[in-house]
Amino acid sequence: MTGWDSRFETELLRLGVQPGRARQLAEETAQQAAECAAAPDSLFGPAHLYARHLLSELKTAAVPLGGAKGPVRLRLTGVGKRYRRRTVLDGVNLTVRAGEVAAIVGANGCGKSTLLRICAGLTRPTSGSVQRTRRVGFVPQDAGTADWLTADEHFTLFGAAAGMAPRRARSTGEHLAARLAWRPTKSQPTQHLSGGTRQKLNLVLGELHAPDLLLLDEPYQGFDQGTYLDFWQQVHSWRDAGRAVVVVTHLLHDLQHVDHVHDLGAAQ
Amino acid sequence: MTALVVAALSAREVSRRRTALLLVITLPLWFYLVRRDQTGQSVRMLTLGIGWAVSTLTLFVVNASRGVDPRLRLSGASTAAVIGGRLLAMTGGGVILALGYWVLTALDQDLDRPAAVALIMVLAAVLAAPLGGLVAALLPRELEGALALLSICAVQMLADPAGLVAKLMPFWSAREIGTYAIDATAPDYLWRGLAHAAVTWLICAGGTWAIFAWRLRLPRYPEP
Repeated sequence: MTGWDSRFETELLRLGVQPGRARQLAEETAQQAAECAAAPDSLFGPAHLYARHLLSELKTAAVPLGGAKGPVRLRLTGVGKRYRRRTVLDGVNLTVRAGEVAAIVGANGCGKSTLLRICAGLTRPTSGSVQRTRRVGFVPQDAGTADWLTADEHFTLFGAAAGMAPRRARSTGEHLAARLAWRPTKSQPTQHLSGGTRQKLNLVLGELHAPDLLLLDEPYQGFDQGTYLDFWQQVHSWRDAGRAVVVVTHLLHDLQHVDHVHDLGAAQ
Repeated sequence: MTALVVAALSAREVSRRRTALLLVITLPLWFYLVRRDQTGQSVRMLTLGIGWAVSTLTLFVVNASRGVDPRLRLSGASTAAVIGGRLLAMTGGGVILALGYWVLTALDQDLDRPAAVALIMVLAAVLAAPLGGLVAALLPRELEGALALLSICAVQMLADPAGLVAKLMPFWSAREIGTYAIDATAPDYLWRGLAHAAVTWLICAGGTWAIFAWRLRLPRYPEP
């Protein structure tokens, strides 16, 4: 087996596929590459990404979907947040399991973004407790990128933070970008990207290190209709691959795409 | 590894801001030119200009990365790698700038102790990076930070070198070693200057790291 094959099999095992089934899938994939007389890397892309893609395509039950859900990835119990005398959040309870998409909705200023930052660990709750999986990806509503770096350099930077080699980080980033119908330009700094494309970069950076839990704060700002549909398709493929996703949104028609909705109500 | 990638990309980021970079590179030159006729004064002013330029550049670089750094932490980077990488890049750039100006002074002035002159310029750059980082950590907004650095450099320039106020300023070591380098004094000036530089660097670098370690700390949430 080549290095790519063993990385592919290892990722399948990590995603919960039975060892026998993982070996079978790895052998079939290697055979497919041999038939095309191509290196698996150039044919399928990075091994860990293809493993996730294949799982979602095959609907292989890494985590049982539908009735019984996967393990809990995020649990908030009685979470509250106060800034001096102003209460922003009070007694929020939320449980999100692997293979689920949860939406957080509510009026402007009701604390949606604050709640997501608490989930990420970037803001501390005043009360209550948070339990969450270690591998988490966070996509903020705006900012979160460096104006003078190109998309490729962002992939290298965020990949290095996650312990990925630069080449692997770039190739992973480019593949994830392709799923959002975006091909990053090598020499274009982020500040010259349109708002929607910058959000695509934001999304890719949140997903680059293959987190088990994705926290998305209105991630589709500036998306055109096609990209918006690609985005939800991407969310569904994450869900099918056994990831937990929490999306902050204010668009009611988004709610048809999610498993449950947490309404924070009006601003306090 | 992460620190080196952060350093390389920070340097690349700065290199793309060509106008800002040009202004930073030329800033010490104006300090030098106004006192070019006096060797001692021109070298001291040039050194202070290098310190001011590098610390201001570091301030802007550190402030510009405020949106990115928490995400890098969430992805798995340590605070030391993120902040250390940026300071490393600015220190490296500062040292190159200092060596460039040292070549200029060596060619343009009659220096008795050129190695000591090189030392004060490099020291100014090495001290300036963590100074800019510390000011950025304490004053997150760029205008406030820039004004604070302006105040520090102005006091350093105007205060009596023998007085307490001057000794409390970050670039006093450059003046002290400058006296050794230009006026050919005894080596105690050199040792005092080096000791002051070491303490200043430890305070600035340690302070920067401590504030960012607190600001970028992530809670250890238990697994469900």
